Amino acid sequence: MLAKLSSPFREFGLFAGLVYAVGRLLQRVSTHLRLYFYELLVQPIPDEPLLPPKLARTLEIRQLREDDPEIAVMPARPEIKKSRFKQNAICLGAFQHEAFVGHIWFCLHAYEEDEVRCTFVLPEGNQAVFDFDLYLFPEHRMGLGFVGIWNGANEFLRSRGVKFSFSRLTRFNLASRRAHESLGARRVARMFVLQAWQVELMVATVAPYVHLSLGKSNRVQVRLRSNACFSEPRRQPLVDSPAG
Amino acid sequence: MSELEILRNYIRTETGYEGELAPDLDLLEKQVLDSFSIVQWAMFIQERFGIELEAEELVRDNLSSFSNVMALIQSKKSAGVVQGGPEM
Repeated sequence: MLAKLSSPFREFGLFAGLVYAVGRLLQRVSTHLRLYFYELLVQPIPDEPLLPPKLARTLEIRQLREDDPEIAVMPARPEIKKSRFKQNAICLGAFQHEAFVGHIWFCLHAYEEDEVRCTFVLPEGNQAVFDFDLYLFPEHRMGLGFVGIWNGANEFLRSRGVKFSFSRLTRFNLASRRAHESLGARRVARMFVLQAWQVELMVATVAPYVHLSLGKSNRVQVRLRSNACFSEPRRQPLVDSPAG
Repeated sequence: MSELEILRNYIRTETGYEGELAPDLDLLEKQVLDSFSIVQWAMFIQERFGIELEAEELVRDNLSSFSNVMALIQSKKSAGVVQGGPEM
């Protein structure tokens, strides 16, 4: 019992473990209560490929359109996928020997989060995108898939002059955190969202810092700053100290 | 140095893992390797043992433990798929 209680603190550190415990407690109180702890990251689109050409060739990356059959087999709910295309999101599919193995999505100017009422607005200048929902079908995980998708996505973005990709991670997804760190990601902000029935309270380390949304039509806009990109020496490691 | 020692050295150096590294330890299950580092692991194996791996061979069954990696190296060597890299 004690081991179970202390597990989140060991896994996530003191502060994040506490947030996790509070979130779980809230969910037990009511299914209408939820606490999200996000990290906003930015990673460079490198000039060099991540894979040698021979391996890169084995995974074909191509842009998918809304009516492509692969869209239908993606695990996200149909209305979510529809809303992504509505906001002009780009979906890249990965294919190995013509088999659909995974995908990644990007937004070019702003990303309307579908989990909470927040819109992430990208810096002007078309040098940054927002990536989300990188997914690999289970049988293709732990092979070339993850690196292969990013290798292809980087090539796609590089050819369009994109230099950075922002993303939003759940703080408790440690595997995704490690993967992003391997790609050179750094944290630019933290964000907490408390959902209570129709109300959402956001507290973030980035402007507007605090926002209360009382209904579906009221979305907070979080402007991602271009100076968060790699113009300055790295100041904040992604992996926290145990107290983080 | 044996193949096993070479592989263990790489894991210790690159991942900082300090636990016991038994030949059958599942490096993915133990989270010593992840979806990114497994590709670097495969690149190292190719270069260090002078073998050429196909994309289809970069799968969990081949790369998740030292035993599996050593079996893969042996099968590649016996099949004669060797690329002029360094070898012990």
